[in-house]
Amino acid sequence: MLRAILRDMRAHPGRISMTLVAIVLGVAFVVATWVVSDSAAETVGNANSRTDLAARVSSPRDTELTAAERDRLAALPGVQRAIGVLIGHSSVVQADGKLGDTYWPGEGGTNWDSSARFTLASGRGPESGGEVALEQEAAADAGLTVGSSAKVLNADGEPTTMTVVGIFSYRKAGASEVSPAVAYDPATAAARLGSAFAWIDLYGTDQTQIASAASGALGSGFDVRTGAELAVQRQQQADEEAQLVRNFLLAFAGVALLAGMFVIANTFTMLVAQRTRHFALLRAVGARRRQVRRAVLAEAAVLGLVGATIGVALGIGLGWLTMEIIPTTGEAVVFAVSPMAPLVGYLVGVLVTVVAAYGSARRGAAVAPVAALGTDAALPKRSLVIRTVAGCVAMSAGVVAVVATSGPALTDAKRAVGMAGALTGWLAVILLAPLLASAVLIPLSRLVSRRGSAVSRLAVRNAIRDPRRTAATASALMIGLALVTAFATVGASLTSYITGAIETDVPADTLIVQSAQGFSSISPTLVEKVRAVSGVDSVASPTESFAEFTHQGREYHNTITALEADSLGRALTPVIEAGRADLTQGVLVSSADAKEQGISLGDTLTINGVTAPVVGLYGESEILHGIVVNKTLLPPDPKSYLGAVYVSGASRSALDAAFADRPDIVVLDRAGLLAEYTEPLDLALGIIYALLAAAVIIAVFGVVNTLALSVLERTREIGVFRAVGATRSLVRRSVRRESVVIATYGGLLGVGVGILLGGVMQHVIIGTPIFDLTIPKIVVAGALGGMIVVGVLAALWPARRAARTDILAAIATA
Amino acid sequence: MTISNAAVRAASLTKVYGEGDARVVALDGVDVSFRRGELTAIMGPSGSGKSTLMHCVAGLDRATSGQAWVGDVELTGLADDALTMLRRDRIGFVFQAFNLLPTLNAWENITLPLDLAGKRVDRAFADVVIDAVGLRDRLGHRPSQLSGGQQQRVACARALISKPDVVFADEPTGALDSHSSAELLGFLRRSVVELGQTVVMVTHDPTAASYADRVVHLADGRIVSEQLATVGGA
Repeated sequence: MLRAILRDMRAHPGRISMTLVAIVLGVAFVVATWVVSDSAAETVGNANSRTDLAARVSSPRDTELTAAERDRLAALPGVQRAIGVLIGHSSVVQADGKLGDTYWPGEGGTNWDSSARFTLASGRGPESGGEVALEQEAAADAGLTVGSSAKVLNADGEPTTMTVVGIFSYRKAGASEVSPAVAYDPATAAARLGSAFAWIDLYGTDQTQIASAASGALGSGFDVRTGAELAVQRQQQADEEAQLVRNFLLAFAGVALLAGMFVIANTFTMLVAQRTRHFALLRAVGARRRQVRRAVLAEAAVLGLVGATIGVALGIGLGWLTMEIIPTTGEAVVFAVSPMAPLVGYLVGVLVTVVAAYGSARRGAAVAPVAALGTDAALPKRSLVIRTVAGCVAMSAGVVAVVATSGPALTDAKRAVGMAGALTGWLAVILLAPLLASAVLIPLSRLVSRRGSAVSRLAVRNAIRDPRRTAATASALMIGLALVTAFATVGASLTSYITGAIETDVPADTLIVQSAQGFSSISPTLVEKVRAVSGVDSVASPTESFAEFTHQGREYHNTITALEADSLGRALTPVIEAGRADLTQGVLVSSADAKEQGISLGDTLTINGVTAPVVGLYGESEILHGIVVNKTLLPPDPKSYLGAVYVSGASRSALDAAFADRPDIVVLDRAGLLAEYTEPLDLALGIIYALLAAAVIIAVFGVVNTLALSVLERTREIGVFRAVGATRSLVRRSVRRESVVIATYGGLLGVGVGILLGGVMQHVIIGTPIFDLTIPKIVVAGALGGMIVVGVLAALWPARRAARTDILAAIATA
Repeated sequence: MTISNAAVRAASLTKVYGEGDARVVALDGVDVSFRRGELTAIMGPSGSGKSTLMHCVAGLDRATSGQAWVGDVELTGLADDALTMLRRDRIGFVFQAFNLLPTLNAWENITLPLDLAGKRVDRAFADVVIDAVGLRDRLGHRPSQLSGGQQQRVACARALISKPDVVFADEPTGALDSHSSAELLGFLRRSVVELGQTVVMVTHDPTAASYADRVVHLADGRIVSEQLATVGGA
């Protein structure tokens, strides 16, 4: 029996090739995910970790580790060397004269030592005050090499020009270490970074003895870890990060596999339908139902096995390629393939194929033996009733869940329910897709019948001939497209929300002075420097701190934003929903906070001993938070957070000139500020689209598959069509139009479902009403236009096959 | 018989399948003419080459050598597209079974050749044809909703609708019961008598052949006899 099946498969490689593609791509994605996360864990955990440490002593928060402690530790028995590590603020000025934002500047500088922390890629270690060594990536970012002069910035904000003498890569120990960008010789490091060590590294042979001696010598409160413990910590952290990456990627691999399952299930349905008579014959000569069913499942398993084998190989290659092209922070990349990767690949490949083929196997086994005798052996038409009922139930449940949680006040539970409702609705659409196919395509078919040519008529009718098949093909496309559109909708909604909020708060001609390192806090002394620039009309420096306040005898906590009273309406223009924007008369409270904490206009608040009336309520803002007070009424602590200074009146060139000598400060216009908010979002969306592409590609092969098998089924029909006068190009055109109809239907479903899904997602994320969404026009147009292209491309091969149909053979097939 | 009176003719038409030991001569230098306004039956045992002859003169298959004409058009030199146009505009077909496209209803199947050619339907003539085949109340039905006899009548109507030079019928009654067969043959006969249509019918059924004006007998790829039939028409 199995032999008969295998022969049959070998005899018709074309029929199964597309299914194989679906399995291969799905498995390859899963395996590549595994390889990439394994390799990442291995790269971080082993290759770039230190093994030369005996122990590390870190200080608790309020105690400093100084040279005295280091010397005491160095004197301990077994300790060969004790090195105090200084960590402090340092960053390298980029070619454009400003700081890059890729490093943690607070931990960007350290003292050079001869330990395994540093591996020189070129040059030597710094030996005097004018010399530095730079970390590989930092040097590359700033365009610096050995011998060039680097501008280095410390906490004081004044750049110093130094000579680059070496380029190094950095090795870490423990969980929390960050790669520094700059290394100085010890004396310079002490002068620039302070004399308190972040930790002291101890070297020697007996780790446990050294660690316990160190604990004993310093007393409690100091954190002492052996080198082995640090390695474990680091490996754990690497594994956790890898697991996060793996889970993230697996979610997308799962989507691709789901699309693949539709393709596989559809193929098997068609393969079984085409072999109805073959099965009937088997049954007639004595095969039991179970034997037929097993035969089909065996075929699926063999196909899954073959697909998984190719998929595993492709996945490992893909993983390797990914590790080669993703940017790394100067670390040596390790390519690791754990046994789990191929194992999971095979498991997924075989399981997915067998599960997808199960329904077809059962139907094949249900063929009555007598069907072997008839001329037109066909499977009984399956009823759509159960599927439709299930779809309607799921749809109702989804709608109820979404509607129930559509209110503005969102708890985590409500978010979860809303999201689950949206996903249930998404599944319901898949269940209802055959019904929807009829609902959408029958009116189209009527229209085409009246207006269209014979070719269009045939194409549309063929597309709705088997709504289940068309629905399965379109659903595979829909899965990927719906998610692309949903994320695009969320992205567009978030972007327009943020853009709207910022454009409301910040007038178009206001300029922004902020840290070169994104949203880091800047020094309050800058405010005076800004005010001194010629032409400045108004300056707003919203400085935030978290404080307690009293309202009607009760204590609350909230963010207090100190702001210049004269800046409202000039440098910043928040929406005042009630009262006036006059900080000289009292404070402003955000409407949302006022509602939550029961504050009304005219109430008095006591903040840090100062009592003031609430004179106004302001709307949603990205710039002002909590309670806004007059800066002169409540002068902020110098350590409070100041994200940016907003300036009106000054020219861009004047501000640029004023901060030309400050690499740590940049001047932005409103568009630049918007970009700071939206660029990371666009980047994240780009990655998500790329990952979802796999699902769409698999689905495209599904369209090819459906068409190719349909063409095969319709050999006689095409023969008659040709005999009565259809040219080859007409046959090709009709297959192509059918393909475009199916793909466009998939596109419409995907875009429709995606927008609704995205609407719920953005509601769940930012709490705006569901239909207060922004339609991502470019993505929607791209998806629909892309589906037409997909339809044309997917039809290329099937249409050629159809056009080559031999008329005589076709009409002779009785 | 003059050339101008022939709707279709063939000269030294030869068709060879396979090579070497597997070489089969299906048609061996056949010379034949089918007259305008007549129903000609091609008869012969299985493998005599009667279907091959029809396929080659109808532009469905290419002869190995020799020539064939439909009207004044020579088929042997035509490219695929030109041959397709010729079939569409000047030839009608009725096959043994599976004549119709399942997704189109009876009316759409009947008018398919005109549709493909982008021509308007001559309503008056269409009415004549449809009434002749007796399908007026079945025009909106899909083939799956029609009986075998009705399906063959739709196929006949389709073959006539474009007023072709010739209708080729390949065992048109092969899959029908005797009652439906009689109906169909009667209809083909009437199309010749009343509409002046030329019909060439391949059949191995003597009853079917009895409806013909002329019967051509084939054996082993050659014409063995050609005779005027006594038209029964019953």
